[in-house]
Amino acid sequence: MNELSEKYSNKFAIVASVLALIGMGDAIYLVVHSLNGDQIPCGLSGGCGAVLSSKYSEIFGIPLAFFGFAAYFIAFCLALLTAFRNSKLWNLFGLQVFFMVCFSAWLTYIQAFILLEYCQYCLVSAGVCCSLFLVFLISKLIKK
Amino acid sequence: MSNKTNNTPLIIIGAVVVIAVIGGWWLYSSGNSAKKPSTATNTSTKSNASEAFKTAPAGAEPSWSKGAANATVTIEEFVDFACPQCAKTTPIVQQARAAYGDRVRIIFRHFPLDIPAHKNAYDASRAAEAAGIQGKFWEMENLLFKNQSAWSPASLNPRPIFEEYAKQIGLDTVKFNDDLIGMMTTSRVDKDKVRGRALNVSSTPSVYLNNRLLGIEDITPDNLKKLIDAELAKTQAPVANPAGNSNSNVSANQ
Repeated sequence: MNELSEKYSNKFAIVASVLALIGMGDAIYLVVHSLNGDQIPCGLSGGCGAVLSSKYSEIFGIPLAFFGFAAYFIAFCLALLTAFRNSKLWNLFGLQVFFMVCFSAWLTYIQAFILLEYCQYCLVSAGVCCSLFLVFLISKLIKK
Repeated sequence: MSNKTNNTPLIIIGAVVVIAVIGGWWLYSSGNSAKKPSTATNTSTKSNASEAFKTAPAGAEPSWSKGAANATVTIEEFVDFACPQCAKTTPIVQQARAAYGDRVRIIFRHFPLDIPAHKNAYDASRAAEAAGIQGKFWEMENLLFKNQSAWSPASLNPRPIFEEYAKQIGLDTVKFNDDLIGMMTTSRVDKDKVRGRALNVSSTPSVYLNNRLLGIEDITPDNLKKLIDAELAKTQAPVANPAGNSNSNVSANQ
């Protein structure tokens, strides 16, 4: 990596770290919500009640928020280590974020076409995933 | 690159982990403390609903209810059959009523939400009413909640499924199908909805205990028992007797 691209890569990695932290915060809220067994009423405005109570909200009995938290934490670590000049991890970060975006797209599809309801916390997570991937793509474009 | 620099990301990661754990624990603890039953003081805004009870339309009459008409405690619940939380809380309310016998009465009210995800809820309410015409309202209610995920997806046509449930509980399915789309069932569901709207119901389950709107955190077996005891204590000795006369006056009125 030349000096210019490395400089940009570091900046992008720092931005990605901050975004991953936002995603972690969102995921922590949902993890705690599921641990508490909180009840969410169904409202005229729809929303999280329908989404977080649906069968799509967990895999093998484990709430998706746990996986989300783990994914954001790994993304945060990779971005942070990249920011501190371990630039080989940046591509690994890109690969992981690519899978996160794909999974978020699937979950957004479920909300839009199967559940017909949106949960704002899930949409925030999808937005953060897309932003992370966008940061990675821009960093690669600038490198070229 | 010095060792100090190399350690910096690890220190930051460690700090983030610590903050995440502490923050998560704080959220978890505050969530648990919010699960205590509400009191008359902290639900003062909710008790404003009592005023609305004076002017609200009666809803479908006679209503679907269990318990003595002159019970000390009346629990009126507005329910959407497609609401997952209603499927969880309705049995809790019914068990509480059974535990207190004559002293507690529950009134069931339809409140199918007008949201795309609950497209089949209105038909489910009508199916319960259609079963009620043949004397099997509570059996259908139980089946609808028990099998909620089978019929509630908006992409499904739920009527063949409802017909199957009607068969299971021994209904005349021809009459059931006619009643399901009949004026009587539609009118009863609509009347309940009108009452709900007059009481400013906007989410389900909306449960009123002696005209006071309960919070969702109140509808747990323990919290509901405490609230019922508190209401009973206002008029008589607060004796919760879960074993006593649970079915002596259970009736599906209509």
